[in-house]
This record gives sequence, structure tokens and C-alpha cells, in this order.
Amino acid sequence: MLQKSSKKYISLLAFIAPAFILYLCFLLIPTISGLYYSFTNWNGLNPTYKFIGLENFIEIFKEDPYFMDSVWFTLKYVVCMVVFQNVIALLLAVFIESRTRSKGFFRTIFFMPNMISIIISAFMWTFIFTQVFPQLAEKTILTFLGQSWIGDPKYSFIAILIVSLWNGVGYMMIIYLAGLQGVPQHLKEAAVIDGANAFQQFRNVTLPMITHAITICLFLTLNNAFKVYEVVFGLTGGGPGRSTQVITMNIFEEAFSNNFRYGYASAKSVILFILVLIFTLIQIRMTKKKEVEA
Amino acid sequence: MRIKQINSWTVNIFLSLSAIIAIFPIYMAVINSFKTDGEMFKSFISLPTTLRFSNYVEAFDRINMVQSSINSAIVAGIGIMGIVFCASLAGYKLSRTNNKLSNFIFMLFIASMLVPFHSIMIPLTRMAKALHVQGSIYGLAIIYIGLGVNMAVFLYHGFVKSIPRELEEAAEIDGCNEFQTFFKIIYPLLIPITVTIGILDFLWIWNDFLLTLIMITNADHNTLILSTNVLFGEYNKDWALILASLVLTAVPVVVMYTFFQRYIMEGITEGAVKG
Repeated sequence: MLQKSSKKYISLLAFIAPAFILYLCFLLIPTISGLYYSFTNWNGLNPTYKFIGLENFIEIFKEDPYFMDSVWFTLKYVVCMVVFQNVIALLLAVFIESRTRSKGFFRTIFFMPNMISIIISAFMWTFIFTQVFPQLAEKTILTFLGQSWIGDPKYSFIAILIVSLWNGVGYMMIIYLAGLQGVPQHLKEAAVIDGANAFQQFRNVTLPMITHAITICLFLTLNNAFKVYEVVFGLTGGGPGRSTQVITMNIFEEAFSNNFRYGYASAKSVILFILVLIFTLIQIRMTKKKEVEA
Repeated sequence: MRIKQINSWTVNIFLSLSAIIAIFPIYMAVINSFKTDGEMFKSFISLPTTLRFSNYVEAFDRINMVQSSINSAIVAGIGIMGIVFCASLAGYKLSRTNNKLSNFIFMLFIASMLVPFHSIMIPLTRMAKALHVQGSIYGLAIIYIGLGVNMAVFLYHGFVKSIPRELEEAAEIDGCNEFQTFFKIIYPLLIPITVTIGILDFLWIWNDFLLTLIMITNADHNTLILSTNVLFGEYNKDWALILASLVLTAVPVVVMYTFFQRYIMEGITEGAVKG
């Protein structure tokens, strides 16, 4: 009897071991040790470090305006992304779904930017923002394009949003399209017979039926928006000054670029993790409640 | 009775405008990559007068196209094979056992999907140094396996539930041991979800930037994205050269996309809906 159950455990371990060992080394242990480092004054160069309790966290909240600025900037970005990315993606999906022959064509086009690495997208758009737009503003009537898109913090926020949306909307659109295809035709027909106009039909039939897709897309957007790094890195590098610095960039700078304060940077990483956790849990709770069965 | 009430024209115009915005940067990058600087500053919008490939020849050389592509392919190839191998074994077994240990391990895998990469990057570099995987493309691939298995285990776990247990019982009666049963009977049935996982992980690893930036220190080991990043930094104002290299970097993925479009979109929906 004992032999049989221990044999069972051995086979369980044999199957799981390859995945679990790599997961342990590169994800679980780093997560836990990151948590531990956040309570130390480890600076990466010095081999000895000691436990300093909550000092790092106190310093972050009291004496680190750059980090707090990056938190606010990131939150602003997250809110804009959650709203615009989902509204645009859903609009595109609904419109595409209403076409017949051009459906496949538009789907292909809108999804294509998503295939291009975000950092490559940012470089392409840097060319558009710094070279093409000024020329267009000068030579055509599109004078509103003649802004200092990268140099002026007000416009570089918009530039960052544009590139993020350009790259990310297609992905969400695909998920919404899948959701829309799952809406039973007879419900829409029933709504039309009951005299609903297109908007009412969308509001009262389609929207409740795709809440699952909305949950997923909100979750993905939230999660990715908090982790934004590449777009900002490619477009502005956090500048001018630190005006477009996001949380991840602040952490990166703290840890790798200038001062190697690993313990302090780890404390910031923990704050990022907690932020992501809180926001996604709230979001999942709120949207899960609204989901309905077909 | 489709949604006829929506004004068909407005919709068409909206879609077409959006399509132009989606294509515009790619189109601009492509046409201007054939021009000289002088031609560009006259007009970015006009088509190039001659098809000049000298920008491409230089960019090809500067980003070390052959070596960088091979590096990217090795990282993605080993990464995906490793993830598929490790995660299918684990996902299958976790789905078929139901005790405290297996449930706990499964919960660990799931919970870790919420950890942002940036929260672990500092300890990860230290770990990579300690295990001597920092700086090499093979080491990088192994790290990708470690970071990618959780999602794949989750997807396999869900998929295995739909496979009837009777198959394994029959194989056992026929004298297969557990590993034979897995590789001969179960594994072939997992191919649909394996394709999904392969696509998702390919796009992730091929396009990923930050982890490679931290891990690769030797220019010979640069991936495609990394080489382009270096070139972008060095030749800040030489747009013709930069655009040519951007096109070279983006083209393989876009070509792949046009061929495998259906699978990619299905893969994303599948991955997202389950995830």
C-alpha cells in the first residue's frame, strides 16, 4: 500500500520536475528573493547587506518624488489605455462584424501592427513623429501635426498613447470579434422584432453577451499597461527630463543605469506588483459579476 | 436582418480611415527606406524615384542580419521546444492527479502568471549569473522556458481534461508504462493546443526586448531586435539606414503573419479565452 502511493508520488515528480525546476529557478525564487531584497540595503556591488525593515518603503513614499511622479504618470497611462484601447477595439470589431465581403481584409490590416515588436513600432513612429509629421505640417494643410511630439511632455504622452494603441488595439479586436461571433443570431433578431434600433440592440443584447470578452480584454490591458516599458523606451526614453518616466523605467534606472541600489529598486518592484495585483483583482471582481450565460 | 440601421457609409469611412492609420507607418518606413536623405527631405510622402537597395545592403551588414536572425531563431526554437516538452508533461500529470501536492503545485504555476517581469528582473539577473546562463543565447532560451512554462502548463492542464481517461487505461493494459503512454498516446492528441502555445510563445520570444537587453552582453549574441536597437542608438540621424533595418526586422514576422494568419488569430483567442 505504502509502496503504491510512494510510486505515485515518484511518477508525479518525474513528470513535473523539468517544468518545475526551471520555473523554480527563474520565476519562483526570483519572486521570493525580490520580496526579501526589498527589506534590505543590498546595493549589488557590496557583497554584504543587512535587513533594514521597511526603510526602503518609507524612503520611497517620503523622499522619492521621481518615483511617485512615475507612478502617477503610469496610472494616467493605464486609465487612458484601458478606456481607449477597449473602446476602439470594440468599435472596430462591431463594425467589421457588420461587413460581409471586406471583413477578412480589415481584420488582417488591423491586426498587422500587433505582429511588429513594440520596440520596432516605437522606432518607426519616432520617424513619423520627428520627420514625417513636421514636414506634412509645413507643406500641407495638416498643420496640427506640427507639434513637438517627442520633446514636449504634453504631446509625448499623446505620442506614447498613439503608438501603444496602434500596436495593441488589433489584439483586443481579435478577442472581441471572437466574442461577437458567439452572440446568438436569434437574440439579435428578437430584439429587432421588438423594435430595438441598432444602438439599443448593441447596448441591451450584444454587450451583455460579450462581457466575458470584456473581462478578458480589460484584464489584459490593465496587466500590460502597468508593465509598459518598451514604447516609452523607444520613443522618449523617459524624457524630456523625467517627464514621461514610467514605473518600470524608474526601477530599471535605479537598478541598472546609475546607482545599483538593488534592495531599494526591489522595494519599488514590490510596489509595482502590489499595484497590478490590486487593480486586476478589483477589475475581475467587478466584471465577473456582470457576466451572463447565453 | 443584420445591423442595417448603422449608416453603411459612415462605417465604411471609419474603417477605411482606421486601415490607413494602421498601414501608414509601415508604408512610410518601406517607401523611405529606398530613398537617399536628400530625396527624403524633399518629400517623405512621394514614392522613391528609383529602387535603391544600398540602404538595405548597409543595414543588412550593420545589424549582422544573418547572425542575428540565427540567434533569434535559436532562442525562439529552443525556448518553444523546451516549453512544450516541459509543460505538456507537467500539465498532463497535474490534470490527471488530484491530491494536495499536485493542487498546490498547480496553484503555484497559476499564481505566478500575475507577477510582472519587471518585479523579478533584478533577482533574475543574479540567479542567471549564479547558474552561468547569463550572456549566452542558450542560457537566454532556458530562462524563457522558465518564464513561459506557467502559462503553457495552464493551457495543457485545461486541454487534457477533454481527453478521455479510457485511452490511458487501454494503453496500460497493453503494457505501456506511463511515459510510453504519454508520448505515444496522449502527446499526439495534444497537437492543437501545442500549436496554440507554439504561436503565442514564438510571438512573445521573437519580439521580446527587455530580457534580452539585460541578459545578452556580447554583441555576437545579439538577437534581431537587439541589433536593431543598437543601430538605432548609434546612427541616430541616418534615417534611411534605420528604416531599412526596421523593415528587415519587421518583414520576417509580417510574412509569417500573412501565411499563418488564421492560426495566429485562433491561437490568440484560444489562449486568451482560457487564460
